[in-house]
Amino acid sequence: MNKIIIGEHIVKSFGEGDEKHKVLDGVSAEINEGEFVAVMGPSGSGKSTLMFALSGMDSVDGGKVVFDGKNLSGLGEKELSDIRRTKMGFVFQQPTMLKNLNILDNIILPSVRDNRKNTTTISAKAKTLMKRVGIADLENRDITQVSGGQLQRAGICRALMNSPKILFGDEPTGALNSKSAHEIMDIFSEINAEGTAIMLVTHDANVAARTERIMFMRDGAILSEMKLSKFDGKDWDSRVEKVTMKMREIGI
Amino acid sequence: MYNRIIRNDMLKSKLITLTTVIFVAAAAMLVSLAAILVVNLSGALDNLMTQAKTPHFMQMHSGEIDRERLAAFSKENSNVDDYQVVEFLNIDGTQINLGNNSLAHSVQDNGLSIQNDKFDYLLDLKGDIIKVTDGEIYVPVTYMKDNTTKVGDKALISGKEFTVAGFLRDSTMNSSLSASKRFLVSNHDFAELKDHGSMEYLIEFRLNDYSAIGEFETAYASEGLEANGPTVTYTLFKTMNAISDGMMIAVILLVSVLVVVIALMSIRFTLLAKIEDDYREIGVMKAIGLRLSDIKKIYLAKYAVIAAVGSILGIILSFIFKGILLENIRLFMGESEKSSLGLIFGIFGILLVFLVIILYVNRVLKRFKKISAAEAIRFGISQEKTVYAKRFNLNRNKLFNTNIFLGIKDVLTRKKLYVTSLVVLVISAFIIIVPQNLYNTISSKGFIQYMGIGNYDLRIQTNNADQTEEIVQTIDSDNDVSKYTVMTTKTFKVKTSNGSEENIKVELGDHSLFPIAYSEGRAPARDDEIALSDINASEMSKKVGDIITLVIDGKEKALTVTGLYSDVTNGGKTAKGVFNDNSASIIWTIVCVELSDESLVDSKVLTYSNEFDFAKASDIDEFVSQTLGSTISSVEMASYASIAIALAIMVLVTLLFMKMLVAKDKYSIAVMKSLGFTNSDVTVQYVSRSVFVLLVGIILGTLLANTLGEMLAGVVISSFGASTFSFTINPLSAYLFSPLLMICAVLIATLIGTSGAGKIKISENIKE
Repeated sequence: MNKIIIGEHIVKSFGEGDEKHKVLDGVSAEINEGEFVAVMGPSGSGKSTLMFALSGMDSVDGGKVVFDGKNLSGLGEKELSDIRRTKMGFVFQQPTMLKNLNILDNIILPSVRDNRKNTTTISAKAKTLMKRVGIADLENRDITQVSGGQLQRAGICRALMNSPKILFGDEPTGALNSKSAHEIMDIFSEINAEGTAIMLVTHDANVAARTERIMFMRDGAILSEMKLSKFDGKDWDSRVEKVTMKMREIGI
Repeated sequence: MYNRIIRNDMLKSKLITLTTVIFVAAAAMLVSLAAILVVNLSGALDNLMTQAKTPHFMQMHSGEIDRERLAAFSKENSNVDDYQVVEFLNIDGTQINLGNNSLAHSVQDNGLSIQNDKFDYLLDLKGDIIKVTDGEIYVPVTYMKDNTTKVGDKALISGKEFTVAGFLRDSTMNSSLSASKRFLVSNHDFAELKDHGSMEYLIEFRLNDYSAIGEFETAYASEGLEANGPTVTYTLFKTMNAISDGMMIAVILLVSVLVVVIALMSIRFTLLAKIEDDYREIGVMKAIGLRLSDIKKIYLAKYAVIAAVGSILGIILSFIFKGILLENIRLFMGESEKSSLGLIFGIFGILLVFLVIILYVNRVLKRFKKISAAEAIRFGISQEKTVYAKRFNLNRNKLFNTNIFLGIKDVLTRKKLYVTSLVVLVISAFIIIVPQNLYNTISSKGFIQYMGIGNYDLRIQTNNADQTEEIVQTIDSDNDVSKYTVMTTKTFKVKTSNGSEENIKVELGDHSLFPIAYSEGRAPARDDEIALSDINASEMSKKVGDIITLVIDGKEKALTVTGLYSDVTNGGKTAKGVFNDNSASIIWTIVCVELSDESLVDSKVLTYSNEFDFAKASDIDEFVSQTLGSTISSVEMASYASIAIALAIMVLVTLLFMKMLVAKDKYSIAVMKSLGFTNSDVTVQYVSRSVFVLLVGIILGTLLANTLGEMLAGVVISSFGASTFSFTINPLSAYLFSPLLMICAVLIATLIGTSGAGKIKISENIKE
């Protein structure tokens, strides 16, 4: 199995002088192509920071991150941006949309930057994605005119526009009600089934139970890992229970 | 508590606070300067004209004079308080040497006079009546200003040696617009030189009551008294004395109004941004029951402090700069007795600026009413519906680069925010373009025709009618002359509306050869047509198409007014006709000459001057540069200064605005970056925003400059007597270099102002 991301001994600190605080203390983590991974841990454990480090969105103070065969710490701001735009997708807890643009424009934004001659094709693809996640009629809406769940779906469409190799999700269902959260997770499972690797940061056992591998973090380090089978819609309750047990076992 | 809030707030936004203070200080300074200048100018002018006892009516006259008849007239006329005939000994410029300089090239009629004993005194620089002794000469102050001579120099007038004992203020002839200049010598020296020049007379009257001047003028004309020369009244003396400083004051006033607007604009956008930042806090304050007026007070107090500091700075600055600007007034007119009054008016002006700012802030703060406490606390940002350009969508855009598109879209969406910076840019473009066009216009060769002078190369003027033929013959046989025409000026009587008669000077000849600009109508073409100067037309209340009646050779002749024109020559009261007349005597003759080769002008002027010692040959360009030269060069300087000031304003405001935008848009920038937009993408977006706003600003500013600006400039120009006016535009500088300069300035400011965008960290701004 090829590795899409290899993180080795990553160190990341925040603050200065006496206030300096190691958020990641020599963390090593890998993600395979097409793998569905979750990172769990209490607030302040460093799980979001790990995601920002692995995606090259934040620089690291020590160790290295290799993405798709390239060492990210050797790359400049432009190359990092290019990789983010063409090979990665991001979904955050709060939908990060631009107020000035309507839903459709927000979705196609990262794609038209490089390819505005094909705006028509790009828009058509966006509309197909919107239909698939169930927001087909919202393309001309203002972002303040739709619900949080709908906005999160639009965010997923945007993340998928450039057919990324990996999708990062930072608590993507954290701000949603359970019904919406469930539907969103169905979409993630579908996307993963089509071959896109996914890394989710969450503290929700119901979300983690969808994935095939879970990394548990505390105080800037990975405490342990747990492997699950690929989720095929069966044994839901036992998967959730397995995750919950593990969480209780290591005390998070 | 207010103190602490204000102090913290200002410390947090040092750049913004500082810039606002600077704008307020500049506005306050200019308003105060304008007030100080107005008071000092009017005070000093009154002082000068009171101390000098300026004549109420002055008739210049050359030729025979009947003093007894004049004395009898003044005795009989009840309006006359005092009367005198002043002798003015006109000396050719080549015969006047001051220090190492000769006045050979002066277009002024320079001449000698003695001190008067009744009125129209020549004053020294302290404002005292000069007592001159033999061998001393006092020189008009204008020759001190242009460094022609200094006290102690030797002066050689027609071979007689004098010592320059000092400079004199002449309340009637100080201005460069007045064509004559009086030098003061002792009675004895004057008598000695009497045969070395041509004698002219200034017939002067003081009236008991100046309001009777109209009646007096009519009486003087109907008596048929000496009138071979221009007539000037007290009002015109006053205008001519005030004109150059008056123009400066007008420009300062205009600029100060613009700077006040800019100050208000920069306050507006900093305040709006602040309100948006504090949206939640304002909601909380409302929610816990603070009154609207309490909340307003916190914001108002901050701007009151800014406005107060700016105003005090403005007062200090205006005191520093007033000396430089008052220099000219002090030199030509002396101190004003009312200078303390100027101080009061200056402070009053500053208080006005302060008040306007506070009222404006109060008005902007009215939008607090619209903030709903619940909404503010829940959402933290204003939920005001953004009405964005619905049709301007990314999914339909193929034309623009995505970053440029996003930049323009942002401007169209947040119009309210950008409108402030647009207003500043429009004003800046206006400030850059108008003075430039004005300078271009008055320095262009064609401008002279706005002043009643045709577009020819040189002219030869003589008061000696008998010898005109000699000039004409020489000119006619000169191969370097491409065309010429002869204009004779004669005095006729004109019937006024109440049936009495007044004098009118009419220039007769072919007016089509060297046409002047008519503010209305056209040149006279037929025997029964006449064109009037604006001043004449307004005094006689005639317009184009009206009929006026002249008395020619005892017979009345009706003439139709075909056109009105502006004139700066001969006191501005002239007329032009084409009819033939052999009855009235010629006051003066002007031969207008155009040469086939312009470069010959200098040598021709010299040749003709030597050949016709009874006439005055002058180079028109020289005439323009000496009468208008100081104005042209100060307008030129003003235009450069305006460019510098406007560019500085543009850079400062753009810098401020961009810094604020980046701070405001931190979140959007982080989102963009997370989506894989590079720092240079973000920069391109911001540059497109400011360039887009700038382009709109340049277009609006240019349009405004060519309409409103032209009108304003026209008002300034009309003070010279020119009433119709259109800009002569140098397209290269107005439509290419100036916009390029503005774009460069704004680009640089944008790049510096948005450099902070690169430092925005995605994780810090997106993480919950």
